[in-house]
Amino acid sequence: MALKLTQSEFETERDENKCISCQVCVRQCSNDVHEYDSDQDTIYSDNLKCVGCHRCESLCPTGALKIKERDSQFKTNYNWSPDHLRNIYRQADSGGVLLTGMGSDKPYTVYWDRILFNASQVTNPSIDPLREPMEIKTFIGRKPDKLEFKKNKNLKNKSIKLKTKMYPQLELSTPIMFSAMSYGSISFNACKSLASAASQFGTYYNTGEGGLHKDLYKYAENTIVQVASGRYGVDVDYLNKGSAVEIKIGQGAKPGIGGHLPGEKVTEDISNTRMIPEGTDALSPAPHHDIYSIEDLAQLIYALKEATDWSKPVGVKVSAVHNIAPIASGIVRAGADFVTIDGLRGGTGAAPQTIRDNVGIPIELAVAAVDERLREEGIRHKASIIAAGSIRSSSDAIKAIALGADAVYIGTAALIAMGCHLCQKCYTGKCNWGIATQDPYLTKRLNPDIGTRRLLNLLRGWSLEIKEMLGGAGINAIESLKGNREHLRGIGLSDRELTVLGIKHAGEAW
Amino acid sequence: MRRKNNIPKKDEMADYIIIGNSAAGLAAADSIRKLDKAGKVMVLTEENYPNYSKPMITYFLAKTVSLDKVYFKDKKFYRDNNIDIRLNTRVKSVDTAGMFLTVESGRIFYFKKLLIASGGKPIVPRIRVIGTGTIESSRSGKDKTFDFMDGTNYRDIGGIFTLTTLDDAIKIRDYIEKNKIKEISILGGGLIGLKAAEAFLETGFDINIIELANRILAATFDQQASGIIEKKIKSKGSNIYKNNTIEEIYITDGKISGYRLKDSEKRGCRLLISAVGVSPDTGFISGGKLKINRGIVVDDYMRTSGKNIYAAGDVVEGPDMLRGEKRNIAIWPLAVRQGGTAGINMAGGNEKYSGGFFMNSVEILQIPSISMGLTNAEEGEDKNIEVFKDFNPKKNMYKKVVMKENRIIGVILVGNIERAGIYAGLIRNQIDISSVKENISKEDFGIIHLPADYKKHLVVGEGIEV
Amino acid sequence: MQERPGDDCMKRIYIQEEYCIGCRLCEIYCQVKHSKSKKIIKAFKEELVDIMPRVLVEEIGYNSFAIQCRHCADAPCVEACISGAMQKNKNTGVVTCDEDKCVGCWSCIMVCPYGVIRRGLSSGKIASKCDLCVDEEIPVCVKNCPNEALKFIEKDEDKKDMMRSKNEKKK
Repeated sequence: MALKLTQSEFETERDENKCISCQVCVRQCSNDVHEYDSDQDTIYSDNLKCVGCHRCESLCPTGALKIKERDSQFKTNYNWSPDHLRNIYRQADSGGVLLTGMGSDKPYTVYWDRILFNASQVTNPSIDPLREPMEIKTFIGRKPDKLEFKKNKNLKNKSIKLKTKMYPQLELSTPIMFSAMSYGSISFNACKSLASAASQFGTYYNTGEGGLHKDLYKYAENTIVQVASGRYGVDVDYLNKGSAVEIKIGQGAKPGIGGHLPGEKVTEDISNTRMIPEGTDALSPAPHHDIYSIEDLAQLIYALKEATDWSKPVGVKVSAVHNIAPIASGIVRAGADFVTIDGLRGGTGAAPQTIRDNVGIPIELAVAAVDERLREEGIRHKASIIAAGSIRSSSDAIKAIALGADAVYIGTAALIAMGCHLCQKCYTGKCNWGIATQDPYLTKRLNPDIGTRRLLNLLRGWSLEIKEMLGGAGINAIESLKGNREHLRGIGLSDRELTVLGIKHAGEAW
Repeated sequence: MRRKNNIPKKDEMADYIIIGNSAAGLAAADSIRKLDKAGKVMVLTEENYPNYSKPMITYFLAKTVSLDKVYFKDKKFYRDNNIDIRLNTRVKSVDTAGMFLTVESGRIFYFKKLLIASGGKPIVPRIRVIGTGTIESSRSGKDKTFDFMDGTNYRDIGGIFTLTTLDDAIKIRDYIEKNKIKEISILGGGLIGLKAAEAFLETGFDINIIELANRILAATFDQQASGIIEKKIKSKGSNIYKNNTIEEIYITDGKISGYRLKDSEKRGCRLLISAVGVSPDTGFISGGKLKINRGIVVDDYMRTSGKNIYAAGDVVEGPDMLRGEKRNIAIWPLAVRQGGTAGINMAGGNEKYSGGFFMNSVEILQIPSISMGLTNAEEGEDKNIEVFKDFNPKKNMYKKVVMKENRIIGVILVGNIERAGIYAGLIRNQIDISSVKENISKEDFGIIHLPADYKKHLVVGEGIEV
Repeated sequence: MQERPGDDCMKRIYIQEEYCIGCRLCEIYCQVKHSKSKKIIKAFKEELVDIMPRVLVEEIGYNSFAIQCRHCADAPCVEACISGAMQKNKNTGVVTCDEDKCVGCWSCIMVCPYGVIRRGLSSGKIASKCDLCVDEEIPVCVKNCPNEALKFIEKDEDKKDMMRSKNEKKK
């Protein structure tokens, strides 16, 4: 037997005084950590298998379990951190690409935590959102260059009509949408929860590259369909059902490469939805093989608009990379109605760990740069910017909007609302919470009724908080906050960072 | 006892008269009252007790249950439901054309609708009696001698009892106490006999069971099942005589002192219980007035051949859904169901009796057992019969499932009776189990193993959304 | 037993099989509710041998569901009970077993088509039959199911049965 160099990172601590050997933990752990010994009437835990997902702790009726970091310590080494050691052990064992799930956990600066929002005091009174109208409705889509009106010449009827024809828009009741998560990377029940919550709240969810399952057709009015490099599930029905079409060039967690769904997870249902043979790996190529230049992208955008009768917004999703500003500019000029920018810390079902942690830039910087560039070029109005990549709270969202986004996508936050504990083992397909798995035993654990309810609560809570913060800053419409850098101040940031973000430092005033 | 003032002293009248105060009779009274609150309901019983549950007699005998607990309906049942109950009133004859009946005292009762739920009478075999001395009669007060014992005179011999009424049980208990009985013989190894045996074994008596067939509980158990019970009984030091019967009874001083078996063995005995069987109590219906085979013949609506006359319970020969013919199945749940159906129909309803089949539950010396349907079929008897058996004598466990054309028709469970009712449901609904046959052998056989459409029917009706 | 406040309603427990995760917490909370101490740790460490859950989880592969007494409109157990221990409450329709009257004949087990009555091994009487937790606001199995697979609701068929029997009483 080969020597095991990798140790487990977690251990379960069981309080024997509270444990009643009810075996709920034994039944619920998909990694078989707990085992019941009937002779001794106790439960033994094999901590080497624990991934730290907290399922057993959450379900234990007496609170006897606690998940702790196993904290097996190496000699202190600031250069060779334990993570690096573990990665090499794993790679030496497997010889393949190290996979991981969810967003990057590395200690890059989280700019959201270094940006502060404003509030009104004397010069500009705050607004109480419970007593006065507060508009957080958002429209995604291309805005016209100017508005022309038709005045009625009749002296008696003084009405004014809009002459300019508007481009197709998505109407959101709140500037938050659910990010692209494919059916395949997450379970059907999870997709259904997202779709149902989006539908009930009046916002949108994104199918990701997994195609649109026919049981979700009823949520068509709240669905953004994605055309990714693998073109899974893309046919005329798919395009017609969506309320908007998003061409996926890249994804924040793995810029530059395509998606990967292992063959074991391609069940009959997924095979039907994605329109691929059952049991085959679903490997999306890195580029779209019909997009090799910005002109090609423009061609695809107009082809999709033509195919959907020019009735819905067609946009593009890119990862936030170094030259995101000119890239975004090119995309807008290519005719996109919206640009989704997915930052470094965006989540994923499976990605090579080394790419997830080292490629791309944080969304905070990307949004600021793109907004600035588009305004400079006078084309900011031609497309909406959607920010994605670890929006963790309503304050992150509002800061993103102040930095220039029209709306934000939440992915990880939505999954956490449904029960995810960020153990980062999505790629194993053994998600104990029934989210990132296709195993029918596990997918039962996510009751869409409960999932929908929790997502609605999240949206409602964040929307109320956004209204509170807007009101506190004396603003009564989210439109007034968009790109309004004056409402932000940096704290503990260098001059360079402040310049890129386009904000002053805390303490500086006009 | 209540009396109406404006009816002539001799004759009485009721809208509904029910003969019999037990399961069928009172279920009918209940049903009548659900539909008709006003009509006059009268219940006649030959016994002296407000109501009691016949199956509880053996528990009373075993002292598990006290006298006040043998009643299965609440004390206020008659009052709350406005039912006129007449105790000690044995019916002598019924005039089906004139729609009246006559009781022993001579009084006449007119009825609009009649339910005969008189139950069963114990069968006492005719046995030669050899005795020294004369026998005191307990009834006529005169001395009596006779050569044979049978149903008409067994009560005159001290120590010989049947066990079908509460009075029987009380008498037996008293006799045991007065005469310091330690050993009891039971003629008949069927259900009543075994239930009596259960009562005595639990309270420390020695018993001897004498059975005509080659095994006890022959009607419902096969060789393996009855073998398990037999072994347990014998382990307590009691005797079981199979393929045997009593040919002579010996009497001394008016009491039984012993008997001789068919195989010539002689035994001393001071208390003998005759538990050979019961037959429907139809003696008071004479002269072919109603169609009677072994019991009163009824149709699917519990109607007899007489207009406005119904019958239910142990006295009846009704639809047996497994045999497809009419039979007398004398068990409590069917009596309740039949009585309830009759009551509804008597009060103007139109309820069909879906038919019944035999089933029984008995626990002997901590071995529970349940049998239902046609249990004695064996594989190969008929090419459509399949039998599954799981015999585990060491653990005193046995499971037998008899299937005909992929439908369960009989089940025996000994030792593990968990969830037995699921089989009853399968038998009753005649479910085709060909798709899930191999699940029958599973120890945790449950609803989840049943064919999907039956499971859906079973549970969508009243419970689980599947 | 004291009746649930406002209890003329005919709520029954239903299960959505597709959301039962087979954790058996329903069984555990049922045991706690019917224990002496009603405290989970004390009940399991000291009383376990005497309390049986009245709800039963059946499982094959990844399919599972919890089943308990359906409190049938036409309850065969009430019919079969020889001692009158099994009774159906006229108002609520809840079927309960009076342990005092029960003699352990097992006739109810013999007839229950769902197999949800079980014998108490130490008591020799019926130990395990759902009583719909009449003194709680909702039955504890429903309340504690982590995936809300058990529902405590009124269905139209129950209402019709209930109204029918109420009308019969009025006549």
